[in-house]
Amino acid sequence: MSAAVELRGASVAAGGTKILGPLDLQVARGEHLVVLGPSGCGKTTLLRLVAGLARPAAGTVALEGQAVSEGKRITVPANRRGVGMLFQDGALWPHMSCSKTLDFVLRHAGVAAAQRKSRVGELLELVELGGYERRKPGTLSGGEAQRLSLARALAGEPRLLLLDEPLGPLDAELRASLLERIDRIQRARDLTLIHVTHDPAESQAYTDRTLTMKDGQIASDQGRSGRAGGTA
Amino acid sequence: MSRPLVVCALALYALAGFAPIVAMALRVDASDFEMLLDERTLGLLQRTLLLGGGASALAVLLGAPFGFLVARTDLPGRALLRPLSLVALILPPLFVAITWAALSDVRGAPAAIGILGLHTFPIVAFFTATAFDRIDASRQEAALLAGGFRGVLRMELPLVLPAILCGACLSFLFAINDFATPDYISSVGQKFNVYADEVFANYQVQESTGRAVVSSLPLVALTLLLLVPALWLRRRGALATVGGSFRRPAPLRLGAARPLAFLFCLGVVLVASGLPIGRLVYEAGIAGRAPVVATGDIPMGTASPGLAPVGEWSFTGFRTAFGVALERARTDLGNSLVYSACAGLIAVPVALVLGHLCERARRGPWLEVLFALPMAVPAILFGIGEISVWNNAWGADFYNSGGLVVLLEVGRFLIFPLLLCSGAVASLSPRLEEAALVAGVPAWRRLTSVVGPAVLPSLLAGWALVFVLAMRELDAAILVPSANRTIIFRVFNQIHFGRDDAVAAMCLLVVFFLVLPGLLWSLFARRRVEVMP
Repeated sequence: MSAAVELRGASVAAGGTKILGPLDLQVARGEHLVVLGPSGCGKTTLLRLVAGLARPAAGTVALEGQAVSEGKRITVPANRRGVGMLFQDGALWPHMSCSKTLDFVLRHAGVAAAQRKSRVGELLELVELGGYERRKPGTLSGGEAQRLSLARALAGEPRLLLLDEPLGPLDAELRASLLERIDRIQRARDLTLIHVTHDPAESQAYTDRTLTMKDGQIASDQGRSGRAGGTA
Repeated sequence: MSRPLVVCALALYALAGFAPIVAMALRVDASDFEMLLDERTLGLLQRTLLLGGGASALAVLLGAPFGFLVARTDLPGRALLRPLSLVALILPPLFVAITWAALSDVRGAPAAIGILGLHTFPIVAFFTATAFDRIDASRQEAALLAGGFRGVLRMELPLVLPAILCGACLSFLFAINDFATPDYISSVGQKFNVYADEVFANYQVQESTGRAVVSSLPLVALTLLLLVPALWLRRRGALATVGGSFRRPAPLRLGAARPLAFLFCLGVVLVASGLPIGRLVYEAGIAGRAPVVATGDIPMGTASPGLAPVGEWSFTGFRTAFGVALERARTDLGNSLVYSACAGLIAVPVALVLGHLCERARRGPWLEVLFALPMAVPAILFGIGEISVWNNAWGADFYNSGGLVVLLEVGRFLIFPLLLCSGAVASLSPRLEEAALVAGVPAWRRLTSVVGPAVLPSLLAGWALVFVLAMRELDAAILVPSANRTIIFRVFNQIHFGRDDAVAAMCLLVVFFLVLPGLLWSLFARRRVEVMP
């Protein structure tokens, strides 16, 4: 069975300098992978490469066995990769209310107009934002905004969820509750999850595997019990 | 970026902005170049440089302190003075020239420099104030602790200097492109001819497009030399950009200098815009007229200096003048309003696509220079280019229609909403677009549903800017036959040939429609507009 995510000699360069890779990595379906490392080590670039937001310099990136980029060529653009992503600052659209945000994503995921209203309601309930339909991002607290961001990432029913340090600005209690919610959703939907963070304590309880990065390379790859992970 | 949208926008830019430039260039003959180095051409260059340099120096002298005072200090009435200063830029400089000619005996170069300096000072003031607005409180507080008021100035001046210089470059460009002011000043006194009216004469009198183009080549080179640094400096204005934890600093206390600073700002606003409007109101209410005695030689072939008002001002006279003005110019006014509104409506979506491209594409800054090219060409030459493109068998219908005026206005002024859009996009986190991209939203929808609404204030400001500039557009449109049916053309003609109270009322009608978008904006807009990346 093919891996959910597979990188073979994948690298990213900026201004002629290699900032990531070459990397070989496999993430199994349903796996919760945490990527750790100091600022500038390439964790976010790795995530952006998988999402299709960073242009590859070499190697292959494959999702569910299908190559989405080969060499410098992107074969499947970001909007057709079917991944969900939570950004560091939420990246919520300031002019759209909670329900508009989700409706907008559902429409582009091909959900029929008749079903969208009920789906918006379900998604808002899933992240405990029922009753917030008309609220705009500017009126939400940090935790509420990230929950809306989570609902948006899940709206397209992705098989792969990418988290780019989404819990950074939240306090410890909110972080724990959001992590627990994400873990519950991941297990219920059998999602593959790559979670980038610089905080080793974050998500230790839920992770299947921890990858530590340094200078654009994988420094260590540990399973939950401490055994080596799936690096090829 | 959506390729079909970018291709459509580029095609429209090519048609409206680029085609006239190419058409002009194709009309040049090798023999036309002979005139390039003759003494007359060099004299013109010298006078044009004097006009641009003098006007921009005056604009900096007035605008930089004005911008600092309204943005950074506890100046009384600064919230009102700041938007009021923009009225001087909105007013056609021709109206200021009328007031100048009526109230002062100074003519020739000093008059043209004074008028265009007063007209363009708001550009420098606006850029300066915006740059000061973007300096965080913590920086000012650190400088205040280290060196007091002088320490603040020493720390902040290098941060706002690129914005001031950018304003100065734009002021220079506006001044050397203005046709109506030197033309009017020459018609009421000593002749002061610059490139703009020389190009006009070469085309109109000598009927030589090639000579008109060649005669302006030094000016084009000069404009390009200033345009590139102006756009670069605009991006450098981002030196003063602040992060997410931005805090506005407390206004600096002016202390004993407060009344003096207030008088300076009020004086500048009154002289630059209050006086011309006041003069027009006065002229509109006076029925009696006497011939103006010119103070210098009136050049051959130019207009009469008109009639000076005599007698007493009355409200009845004022009202009657408006009635006559509307009767004479209703159609022209309607044409101007429709053409200008359409130009804004066409320019704004194109500006959104191209402004976004300039900000997000790898070679964006160079694209910005390309899109600013129509600004590098003297306005009157741009008009000649437009005629060259459309005055032929297949374009005759369009040539005689208002569509050509709209196209000309879009080509000339597209760069302004484009710069507003690129500035706004620069202040927008790319993550917003990436979030939509990952969610599967196609490129055109990301632009219309995510970027567009987020930069809406800049789009509205862009529309208002094109509307205002198009309403007062004369420099390029003066040669285009269909533009003869606009209000500004009628005013220009009637100012030259028998100015009276109804013409003053016509001017006031123009002023009303020019100020209206700004007035509505200040009443209803709640979000600020980004002008720098």
